[in-house]
Amino acid sequence: MTADLKLTESPRAAVVLAEPIRTRAGFFSRWATMGSMGIQMMFHDRLKLAGTLFGVVFAVVLGNFQAGTFLALLGKNRMFVENVPVDVWIVPPGTRQFQGGKPLTDAQLNRARATEDVEWAEPLVLQTAQVQLTNGGAEPVSLVGTRAPRFAGGPWNVVRGNTEDLLQPGAVFFEDAEREKLGGINLGSVRELAGHKVQAVGFTWGLLPFAPAYAFAEQTLAREILKLAPDKHTFILVGVAPGADHVAVRERLARALPDTRVMTRREYLDAILKYILTETQIGFSFGLSTIMGLLVGLITVALSMFSSVIDNMRQFGTLKAMGATNGDLARLLFVQAVVYGLVGSLLGLGMVASMVSGMRNPQLTPVIPSEAYAITTVLMVGVCVAASVLALLRLRKLEPAMVFR
Amino acid sequence: MSADTAIQLRGITKTYGQGALAFQALKGVDLTVGRGEFMMLVGPSGSGKTTLLSILGCVLAPTEGEGWLFGEALHRRREAELPVLRLSYIGFIFQGHNLMPALTALENVALPLRMRGFSRRAARAEAADTLAAVGLADKLDSLPEMLSGGQRQRVAVARAVAGKPPLILADEPTAALDAQSGMQVTQLLKQLTTQRGHTVVVVTHDNRIFHLADRTVHIEDGRMVPPPADH
Repeated sequence: MTADLKLTESPRAAVVLAEPIRTRAGFFSRWATMGSMGIQMMFHDRLKLAGTLFGVVFAVVLGNFQAGTFLALLGKNRMFVENVPVDVWIVPPGTRQFQGGKPLTDAQLNRARATEDVEWAEPLVLQTAQVQLTNGGAEPVSLVGTRAPRFAGGPWNVVRGNTEDLLQPGAVFFEDAEREKLGGINLGSVRELAGHKVQAVGFTWGLLPFAPAYAFAEQTLAREILKLAPDKHTFILVGVAPGADHVAVRERLARALPDTRVMTRREYLDAILKYILTETQIGFSFGLSTIMGLLVGLITVALSMFSSVIDNMRQFGTLKAMGATNGDLARLLFVQAVVYGLVGSLLGLGMVASMVSGMRNPQLTPVIPSEAYAITTVLMVGVCVAASVLALLRLRKLEPAMVFR
Repeated sequence: MSADTAIQLRGITKTYGQGALAFQALKGVDLTVGRGEFMMLVGPSGSGKTTLLSILGCVLAPTEGEGWLFGEALHRRREAELPVLRLSYIGFIFQGHNLMPALTALENVALPLRMRGFSRRAARAEAADTLAAVGLADKLDSLPEMLSGGQRQRVAVARAVAGKPPLILADEPTAALDAQSGMQVTQLLKQLTTQRGHTVVVVTHDNRIFHLADRTVHIEDGRMVPPPADH
């Protein structure tokens, strides 16, 4: 059947007929148009916006707290190596974390001192000792015997007193955060440490490893308290001559001291990290929690964006019918995802920062390095963009003809 | 194809589904629409008029047949090229207005203009002029939810005609409106498109507006049929 029009004189003959529009939106114009449309759609549905942002914020807070707590635990294990000014560590063979083992000897100390490019080598002693409390109880401390006058083995983070005060008879530095635990200890307080009368002459802040909190005494006193022979050492600390290659010195020391493990500072830190990640459940546990946090963010954003697409199918169909391509809709979703990631990260990181700054107990405070803020933002934007793929796949299948049904 | 021809379809068939479930919505339709014509495509529900409108709108490919839109051979175009054709040639008016709820009236009208490459300023100026032409100069910043049904459909008319695409396709533009508003919107569409030189195809079964058409084309059971005696 035909219903052809007889093309007779048009009643509009005098009218200038509309012509095809040949202009096309350029690259930036398409991004701007679709991006602003996407943002307006997001902010129009405020309930969905709040739900999606909640998911991102939850992921950011959970992920940062888990990662921050892991870093805090890692820091507890590495803080000694990280903070003392030692270039090369000589430790008992088989050492994989900051922990003593078979004592090192004076002979080994002397061989280290005789090695080329070793500027100085000093012993360090470290062992647990009990502080007798006035109420009859006892609290353990990790007593560090540090050697004057260099004090290469600490203390650091000194908040009260001077390191040289350790030269006074019976002088010990305790951890400020443990003062209550140690029976309300103050500057000048006298305590019994492994049967020896000692006096608090200074305090450090935050030196709380997995083991009991560090306390510092000059090495001679520490050996007396710990009943350690003068020729037995927990570690040997080495300072490398200025300009000398640390790795080359480490190799020389390793050759000279075959019954020990010799590591540069960097290598020792890496060894501890490797131990924690591979030999303990800590890395797995916190890694899993962090990944779970990210997954929660991914799934929340994916479901939210997908349901937003389903709810607004007619709008997207209309856009397609009007001439929007799949690429245009991808731009719209991409901008939405980036905004979700950025705003969610900003809110989440703000919460993390205020919560961490509100924590005063160094035992609990997660470590959030400044890089974490950038990494989190990039990661969450990436997660949100990945989450938008599900919505985009649905939109790719959308037939624009649906708007006529 | 004549330069006075806006649309030409030859032997268009459209089959949905396959095998025993196959349903033929269009059965060899031929249609020619002249440039500047205001045509109404009329038929009962399920007659194939929406399918035909979808094919005219380049949003649905026919199963068989050939089509030309202002000289462009649609049957030779890849699917990926169709969005560009739609932007170049077609303004759409949908049954339920299909305005973007998050955008103001002005932004809704400016949207297809921005997609066509109008600058933001030019798109907004053209959108404001067109909204003024449909009597909504005081509603530029209103969201669709703040407008009545008739006002929304007038925004939809403005969105379709803004920028002057040569072809306007309207799908049941009065379906969601009361009789008075439906008549007003159709009269407005007719007046505006006549002044601006658009070709218009309106799908409708609202016989109250048939008299506004330059021509009505009837479709039943996927085929063009002669108009009933009372038309």
